[in-house]
Amino acid sequence: MKLRRLGLLFVVLAMVLAACGGDTTDTTDTTTGPEPTEAPGTTGAPDTTQAPDTTEGDGTALRWRTRPDNEEEAAVYAGISDSLAAELGVDLQYEPGGTETAGYQQTLLTELAAGTAPDVFWLPGTDIADFATRGVILDLRALADASDHNDDDFYPGPMFHLSFNPDSGNTGEVLWGLPRDVSTFALYMNVDLIQEAGVDDPRELAANGEWTWDKFVEVVDGIGALGGEVIGYGQSSWWGPYGFWINAAGGGFFNSDRTACALDTPESVAGLSALADLYATSSVVPWGEDAEPTFRAGNVGLFQNGRWATPGIRTVGFDFDVVKLPDGPAGPSNWLFWGAYVVNADTADPEAAWKLVAALTTAEVQAQVAESGANIPSRVSQEALDAFLTFTPPENNQAFLDGLSENPAAEGPLWAGSWPEFVSVMDAEVGAVVTGSKSVDDYATTICTLTEPAFAG
Amino acid sequence: MVADATPVRSTGERPVWLVGLAMWQLLLGVATAVGFGMVASSTGIEIVGTPRPLTMAALGIFSILALLAATWIWRFDHRGRLIAFILNLVLAAVAGFFTLQAVNVFNGLDALSATFGDGLPFLAVIAVGWLLSGWSRGRSGRWERILLTASRGLMIVGAAALLLSVGLIPGLWTFLTRIVLPPAIIYLAITVFSIAALRLLKTSQVTKAFGSTSKQLEVMDGIAFVSPNILGFLAFLAGPLAISLFVSLTDWDGLSEASFIGLRNYIDLFADPFFHRSLLNILYFGLLAIPLSIIPALGLASALNMKLPGMRLFRALYFLPAVAGVVGVALIWKQLYNATIGYINYAILQGTELLNLLPFLDLTAPQPQWLSNPSTAMLSMVIVFVFSTIGFNTVLFVAGLQGVPPSLYEAAELDGAGIWGKFRNITVPVLAPTTVFVTITTTILALQLFSEPFILNAPQLSPNGPANATLTPVIYLYQNAFERFKQGYASAIGWVLFLIIFVITLIYFRTQREEGVLTK
Repeated sequence: MKLRRLGLLFVVLAMVLAACGGDTTDTTDTTTGPEPTEAPGTTGAPDTTQAPDTTEGDGTALRWRTRPDNEEEAAVYAGISDSLAAELGVDLQYEPGGTETAGYQQTLLTELAAGTAPDVFWLPGTDIADFATRGVILDLRALADASDHNDDDFYPGPMFHLSFNPDSGNTGEVLWGLPRDVSTFALYMNVDLIQEAGVDDPRELAANGEWTWDKFVEVVDGIGALGGEVIGYGQSSWWGPYGFWINAAGGGFFNSDRTACALDTPESVAGLSALADLYATSSVVPWGEDAEPTFRAGNVGLFQNGRWATPGIRTVGFDFDVVKLPDGPAGPSNWLFWGAYVVNADTADPEAAWKLVAALTTAEVQAQVAESGANIPSRVSQEALDAFLTFTPPENNQAFLDGLSENPAAEGPLWAGSWPEFVSVMDAEVGAVVTGSKSVDDYATTICTLTEPAFAG
Repeated sequence: MVADATPVRSTGERPVWLVGLAMWQLLLGVATAVGFGMVASSTGIEIVGTPRPLTMAALGIFSILALLAATWIWRFDHRGRLIAFILNLVLAAVAGFFTLQAVNVFNGLDALSATFGDGLPFLAVIAVGWLLSGWSRGRSGRWERILLTASRGLMIVGAAALLLSVGLIPGLWTFLTRIVLPPAIIYLAITVFSIAALRLLKTSQVTKAFGSTSKQLEVMDGIAFVSPNILGFLAFLAGPLAISLFVSLTDWDGLSEASFIGLRNYIDLFADPFFHRSLLNILYFGLLAIPLSIIPALGLASALNMKLPGMRLFRALYFLPAVAGVVGVALIWKQLYNATIGYINYAILQGTELLNLLPFLDLTAPQPQWLSNPSTAMLSMVIVFVFSTIGFNTVLFVAGLQGVPPSLYEAAELDGAGIWGKFRNITVPVLAPTTVFVTITTTILALQLFSEPFILNAPQLSPNGPANATLTPVIYLYQNAFERFKQGYASAIGWVLFLIIFVITLIYFRTQREEGVLTK
């Protein structure tokens, strides 16, 4: 009996010792995702940005994390990690982060507090201020200036926020990270339903410069008239989709220096009012319901979403394409969504971390990710844009690129307050207006008072 | 100093072991006092935020106790022995933990999962050996010995191969290279000395020298036996609770230095309209969900307690939602609740069309927006909660019903009692203690509602739901802690919720005790 106990104790201790020799490198799930959609063999000669100098193998180990939109994208990042590890001469461990609903940011926050966060990680654009002002991400300006980095290589919207110094209020003095990619909104179209409804093809209307809000409503109503389970239009109920209507009417969430609420301006109220009218009078997926499953089931004619939804929508069983968003009273408008790779302020090797960030945002790497169809490269590069157009379906990829040039409002953090608090109030109030439980006039008189605590510091 | 094992207190001379023990305690006291000073002045040891005052408190208390223990040990006072025993027990556990942390065992355990698959074939060899040893018993004497020896050999070979395949040799080498370097070697030394001190404190020579009574020895043994439980309780429950209470008195954001702000968080909380809304929501939820999770469960349990064929299968089926993960259950319900393509509305639609086949009927099928309409959003949460909870409560009631003597029912039948009479006068009173337990646990679960709104509303709506209809105290706590960087405020929400649940539970306990359901 004693021998058995000793034997068992030996096995347990031996397992513990064996654990010390376990391989602690990449434990990424390497499950193969669905086959990527057929893309051309070349990624179209994007910018030949020099990759950072290869670091002599010195045992440097870096952990990095991003939030892939699907398994296929995670596999692409894992492959990129392996090739960059060889190129940079460092030991790279890629960690695919959770989804938007699986607490990616919350997990990161907990790890930062515990000191176990990765060296390099991706953050949504709206979260940059919260992390920067608390000193948990590194100012990379000195490292960037010592390299061949140029802020102008990237879209100005994200770079404004990534180089914003909250202490001085100036841009260009600091660098909180580099944008991983960008995305815009478009309208995914069920071409079969549009043809069946006999309405004008939105793509032709857009090409002729006739794609306005009024024409949009006509198309939606025409599709909805098919009856049965068919619905004309669907969108999500987070700030992005309804924000488009506000922006396109000439309004916006904030004033020009983003220090106060601007949801009560006549233009902002007009935009929201138009959206509320659409929900009240036209065939629209009910507010708060997930429109994507209904679109994928073939029951929605037009569905507003970002480029990131493309890989999933490619699997639908009907003919689909995209068209740019309709022009509002203030003209064409869109959002520029982005997120950035940032460096953990506690990283043991800031220089290696910066080189990784720079390597992850080269045109070559961005093209590899864009090929899977999720987003648009964040580098201002005609080659990258030309290559992006070849990543089909959808055929009309130009619709997403049009969004880049049509006065897009860059998503951004709230340096002067708390973005989560602002959004929490805004979402509830906008929802109340759209569902008819609050009048537009009541909303206009109260919204900026209700959001004031978000700017309290 | 006297070298032998039987010191004589009256002579004033102290044996080597006593001197060593006292010195060890003195060393611990001085070291922790120095550590306290270093943390306080941030010299050499820099700890920021909430852990800093807590670390200082722990070091300070440890230092004082260690110095006291040293003094009392020097005077042969049993109190010194007891305190030294407790301190060294805690120190051995903590230093042992830090030793394993320093050699990276915990990360390695995670990585072991990657290599464990390599050892699975050898696990099968061990299993074959084990089966062989079982089969060998009952054979004739000689064959039994041969087979037993073979089976043991097979198991030993399999175990050795398993350990080698999962990386024992490289692991051993890595362990040895890491353990000899600071800080691992320092932690190991502390662990070893603490364990040695513990063993010494338990020897009979120490008992004689200190004149410890058997009762005092029993206390020490008792502490040793409950120490794993207490240490776990302190580390994973009491400790975090204490930290949370402290954090609730600060403006800590989880990342930077915390400032003490007293009861400001609690004052702000009581004026917070969102917190008020969350309390109203959870009250509404509780009033619906708790009775619906208990009363039908009791009825179901009565039905399942019948001696009919297939009842075991039904018990298992009804219990399935309780063991299915809440995330999986919620995701399925999210699909069912979809207003445009969900099965619930589809069933309503089809049912209405069926009814409309009847003459003179022309009904319009209601298509509720279960999750996106403020009127039905919380009701949807109630349905999912009841679905997940009713099975577990049913099983508890079934277990309680198994303890009801059949003779009571027979006697009732003889007195002419019907089904309802038996249920009301026998089943319900006898099941009262079970009902109390089920009610309290269901109430606690209901008041801590989080998963259902968090999963069902995403990603279209925030967990608050439409017009904050599904905002609960725990959801609000989560948002403040992890989305708004308000750990202090979130901790205050947690403590207020704890007090509410505690008061409700206490009132319920008292009323049940007064009714005689629970004994004092």
